[in-house]
Amino acid sequence: MSIAQPARRGRRTAAALAVAASLALTAAACTGQPNSGAQGSTGSTDKPVTITFWHGWSQPNELAAINANIAGFEKLHPNIKVNAVKAVSADTITQGMRATGANAPDVVSDFSTTDVGKFCSTGAWIDLNPLMEKDKIDPKTVFSPAMLDYTQYKGDQCSLPLLGDAYGLYYNVDMFKAAGISSPPKTYSELAADAVKLTKGDGSQQLGFMPLWDYYEQNTGYLGGQYGPTYFTADGKSNLAADPTWPALFAWQKDLIGKLGGYTHLEKLRTGYGDEFAANAFDKGKVAMQLDGEWRVANLQQDKVSFNWATAPFPVPDNEASSYGRGFQTGTVIGINRNSQKQAAAWDFVKYMTTNTDALVTFANAIDNVPSTIAALGSPDLKLPSTFQTFLNVAKNPNSVTQPATPDGDGYVTILQNLGLDLQSGKQTDVMAGLKKADTDVDNSLAQAGTQ
Amino acid sequence: MSSTTAETGPSPTPPKARAGKSPVAPALRRKHRRELRVALAFLSPWLIGFAIFFAYPLISTVYFSFMHYDGYNPPSFVGLKNWTYILSENPYFWTAMRNTLWLVVVMVTLRVIFGLGIGMLITKIKTGAGFFRTAFYLPYLAPPVAATIGFAFLLNPGTGPVNHLLGKLGLPQPGWFNDPNWSKPSLVLLALWGIGDLMVIFMAALLDVPTEQYEAASLDGAGPFQRFRYVTLPNIMPIIMFAVVTGVIQTLQYYTQAMVAGQVASGTLSGSGQNYFPGYPGGSTWTVPQLVYNLGFQSNDDIGAACVVSLVLFVLAMAFTSLLMRRRAGLMGDD
Amino acid sequence: MSDTLTLDSAPSTSAPAPRTAAHRRAVRQRRLNWIAVHSLGIAAALFFLLPFVFLFLTSLMSDDQSLSANLWPQHWVWSNYVNVFKVPGFTDWWKNSIEYSVLGTVLTVASSIPAAYALAKFRFPGRRVAMMAVISMMMLPPQVIIVPMYLLWTNQLHLTGTIWPLVIPMAFGDAFSIFLLRQFLLTIPKEYLDAAKVDGCGEFTTLRRVVLPMIKPAVSAVALFQFFYCWNDFFGPQIYLAQNPGAWTVSYGLQTFHSAHHTDWNLTMAATLLVMAPVIIVFFFAQKAFIEGVTLTGVKG
Repeated sequence: MSIAQPARRGRRTAAALAVAASLALTAAACTGQPNSGAQGSTGSTDKPVTITFWHGWSQPNELAAINANIAGFEKLHPNIKVNAVKAVSADTITQGMRATGANAPDVVSDFSTTDVGKFCSTGAWIDLNPLMEKDKIDPKTVFSPAMLDYTQYKGDQCSLPLLGDAYGLYYNVDMFKAAGISSPPKTYSELAADAVKLTKGDGSQQLGFMPLWDYYEQNTGYLGGQYGPTYFTADGKSNLAADPTWPALFAWQKDLIGKLGGYTHLEKLRTGYGDEFAANAFDKGKVAMQLDGEWRVANLQQDKVSFNWATAPFPVPDNEASSYGRGFQTGTVIGINRNSQKQAAAWDFVKYMTTNTDALVTFANAIDNVPSTIAALGSPDLKLPSTFQTFLNVAKNPNSVTQPATPDGDGYVTILQNLGLDLQSGKQTDVMAGLKKADTDVDNSLAQAGTQ
Repeated sequence: MSSTTAETGPSPTPPKARAGKSPVAPALRRKHRRELRVALAFLSPWLIGFAIFFAYPLISTVYFSFMHYDGYNPPSFVGLKNWTYILSENPYFWTAMRNTLWLVVVMVTLRVIFGLGIGMLITKIKTGAGFFRTAFYLPYLAPPVAATIGFAFLLNPGTGPVNHLLGKLGLPQPGWFNDPNWSKPSLVLLALWGIGDLMVIFMAALLDVPTEQYEAASLDGAGPFQRFRYVTLPNIMPIIMFAVVTGVIQTLQYYTQAMVAGQVASGTLSGSGQNYFPGYPGGSTWTVPQLVYNLGFQSNDDIGAACVVSLVLFVLAMAFTSLLMRRRAGLMGDD
Repeated sequence: MSDTLTLDSAPSTSAPAPRTAAHRRAVRQRRLNWIAVHSLGIAAALFFLLPFVFLFLTSLMSDDQSLSANLWPQHWVWSNYVNVFKVPGFTDWWKNSIEYSVLGTVLTVASSIPAAYALAKFRFPGRRVAMMAVISMMMLPPQVIIVPMYLLWTNQLHLTGTIWPLVIPMAFGDAFSIFLLRQFLLTIPKEYLDAAKVDGCGEFTTLRRVVLPMIKPAVSAVALFQFFYCWNDFFGPQIYLAQNPGAWTVSYGLQTFHSAHHTDWNLTMAATLLVMAPVIIVFFFAQKAFIEGVTLTGVKG
C-alpha cells in the first residue's frame, strides 16, 4: 500500500508525475478508494468534512473525556466534524476494516495492540510515517519508546499510541507490616520468598501471590517480559526455545506453585475468586501482591478498600537486577483506515489526539491511563495520585518492555500462554519439548499468515 | 384458468411408469407438465435462494479454501497449504474437534435421556399439569445469550448464588465455567435446562403409544420396567432416532453458548487492552464453529483457513444428515 | 393437548369394585405413585425455575450486594429496570430487534408457504431431490457458508452494518419453515384441494382461499419459530451488525453490555431478564400453536 507515495514526493518531471498519478489512480481503482485525501493540501481549511471515529470507550467518565477531546479538536478545526462511535470491540474493528461505504470508519482506535501487525502488514491501516515526516514530527522524540514499538510493524508505523497501560506491582501494606516485610520485593526470588511469608495457612484467607498464568492480568508474556526476552530471531523465526527466559521463568513459577500448596490447590483458589473488575481478590484482601495495570489505582480508590496499599515496579529476575524499574507496556492504538476518503482530515484528528499535550493530559487524568508522549508524561498538569507515579516511571523507563507485532494477530502470545497453562497444570511436563513445539506452532502460524 | 383438468386421478405412482402404456397418457403428461410449471413457479423464490444462499457460498467456500486471502488484498492460489495448515499445523483445530465431538457424544446422549425422562414425568403428572408443563418448557425459550450470561453469573465459583448455597450445605463447590474440567459439563447443564423442545416431542410421542398395548402388557403381568422396555421404547424409537440425529447436527453448530460462557467467565472486559484467549478456560470451550469465526473474523484474518474448517464442519453435518434421511424415511415424507 | 394429558398408562379403575385387600393395596399403590411423581415434578420444576428466581432477585439488588453471599435483596432496587434503559444504545437494540424479528417473520412465512405447498402437493421430476436439498439446507451449520456470504454482503452489496443481510435471505424461503409447513400439508387430504379446483380456482387462489385457512396452526407455529429465531439470533448480528453499534439487536447488544458493564451484575441481570421477556410473553399468548409446531417437527414426519 505504498503506491500512493511516489505522487507525494513528486518534484520531478511532468511525465514522471503523470505516471505516478496514473499509478495512484490504478491503485485507487483496485482497492476502491481514491487516495487523494492523503496528499491533498493539508485539507484542513477547505470544505467542511465529517469523519467517523471508532473507539472502544463506554463508561460515562470515559465518554465525557473523549468527547471533550473531540470538542477541543473541532474547535481547532471548525471545518471538520467528528462523528464518534463508541464501545467498538476489537472483533468489530476487524469487520469494519473490511467494510466499505458509508458505515466504514475513517479513524479507528483499538484496545488490542495485537491487531497492529495485521493492520500494518495487510495495509488495512495506512502508514503514518510519511504524514509525520511532512508535518515534521519525529516519532522517536515525541512518543514513549516502548509504545512506539508496539504501534509499528517492520518500520510501517500504521498506528500511534493513544494513552497507554503500564504494569507494576500492587501490594497490601498492612499485610506486609504484619509479616514484618519492610519494602516491596525487587527480584523474583524476593517475590517468591515474600509470597510464602505473606501466605497464611493454606492461603484460602490470605495468599501472598497467585502465580498461575490465568490469574487476572497475569500471563506468561508480562512476567517473562521482565527478563527482556527476544521473541524472534533476526530472520523472523520463533526464538522461544533458544531464549533462556522461558525455562527460567517456568522453573521459577513451578517452584513457587509447589511452595504455595500445589497447582490443584491454587487453581481451586483462583477459580473461587470473583471477577477481575467486579470482585478482584486483591481489592477483597485475599491476595497480598498482584501484577496489575495502572487503572487498578482508580479501581482501588472507587472501591474504598479498607487496607493500606502501595505500588512499585514489578520485580525483575535476579540476574537482571540492574533493570529494576522496568515494566510491561501496552495500550490503545489509533490508525487511519485505508478506505477512508478523508485521510487528510483523519490525519489532522489523529495528530491532535496523539500529540496534543493538553488533550493527552486531560484524557489521562480523566480515565487514569498513562500518557503516551514524552511531553505529556512530564507534564505538571497531570493530576494523578502518588500511587500512580510508579506507572509513569515505568512508562518513562527505557528498559520497559512490550511484545512485537506480528501479522498473525500475535499468534505467538497465545501459543506461549497456552504452553504456560499446560506446564502449570502438568498437561505438559517437558519444558524444552513444549518450547520447541511452540516454536514450530509460531513459525507455522507466521508462514500461514505470510503466504502470498 | 378455470377450465383445467377435472379428472385429477389419485396417482401416487411416478408419472413415467404409466406414461408409455396408458391410453390417458397424453392427458396425464399434459397434467404433469402443467404441474411442473406451477410447481416451478411456486418454488422459484426458494430456488433462487438455494442458488444464492447455499450453492454459491458453498462453491465459494471450496474456492477460498485453496486461496490465501486476508480480506484486504486480492486472494492468491496456494494449493493445499490451508488444508495442511489446518489439519496438521494449527494448534487449535484438533482441540476444537475434540471438544465438539465430546459435546456431540455427551450433550446429545444426556439431553435425549433427560428429555425422555421429563417427557415421561409430564405425562404422569395429573395435578397441576399445566403449571408443570409450562415450568419445564420455559427455559427453552430463554435466548441463548441471555441464558448463558445468567448461568455464568449463577455458577460463578466465587460470587455466584449456586456455590453460596452449596457452601452452606457443606457440599463441594466446583469451578464450573472457570475450571477446564467443569466447563463442558456446565455447558451440558445449561443444555439440559433448556430441554423444553425434546420434552414436548417425547410427550407427544408417548401419548401416541396405543394404550391397548400397555393394557395387554399389564395383563401379561409386565411390570413398569418391562412395559417401558417392551412397549414404550419400540413405539418411540423413531422419535429417539430423530432426536439423536437432529441433536448431533445442532451440537455441531454449537457456538453462542460456548463463546459467551468462555468470555463471561474469563471476566475479560472489552475495554482493557488485554488479550482474550478464546476457549477459556484452557481451551476447553473451543468448538469448531468458533474456530471458523476466530480464523475468518477475529484476530487472524485467514479466510482461506477458515473455509477449510467450514468444509470439515460441512462434511460432518452432511454425514449425519444423510443418516437422517436414510434412517427415517418419514422425514422425506414420501407418501 | 391438555385433555389428552390426563391419559394414564395404569389400568383403569373407574368401575366401583368390592373393597378387597387387593383393592386397598392398589389404592395405596396409586397414592404412593402420585406422591412419587409429583415430588419428582416439584424437584424438576425447581431445577427449571430457580435460575429465573435467582436472576430476578439479583436484578433487584444494589450493585454491591449482587456479588455478596446474600440471595435476598436487602433493598429492592426497582430503579435498576429504569436505569438499564439509560444505558446508551439499549433502546436502539430493542427497535432493531423488533424490526429484524417482524420483517424476518413476515418474509419467511410469505416466501415459505408457496414452496412448501409445491413440495407437498405437486408431483414433478426432481421433487425428491428438491426435498433433499431443503433438508440439507436445514441441517447446514450457518458457519459453513458464512465467509463467502459475509464477503458478498460487504464487498459486493455494501450492506453490512444494516439488518438487510439478515432479512433479505428470508425473502427466499427458509428451509426449516418449508419443511415444517410441508409436513403439515401432507396431512391434508388431496380431495379438499381437488374440490376447490373443481370449483374453478387456479392454483394460487386454491392456496390462498382453501389451503391457507387449513394450515393456520402450522403457519402460526412457523411464524413463532421464526420470530424466536430472529430474536435469539447471535451469530448473524455478530457477523453482519457488529461494525455498526446503531444496528445492534438485543441478543448481540446484551453480550457487549455484559462486557462493558459487568461490574454491575444487577443491571446485567435486569437487561438479561428484559431480553427474555418478549419471547416468554409471546409464548404465553401462542402456547398452543407453538407446542403443536414443536410436535410437528418430530412426530408427524
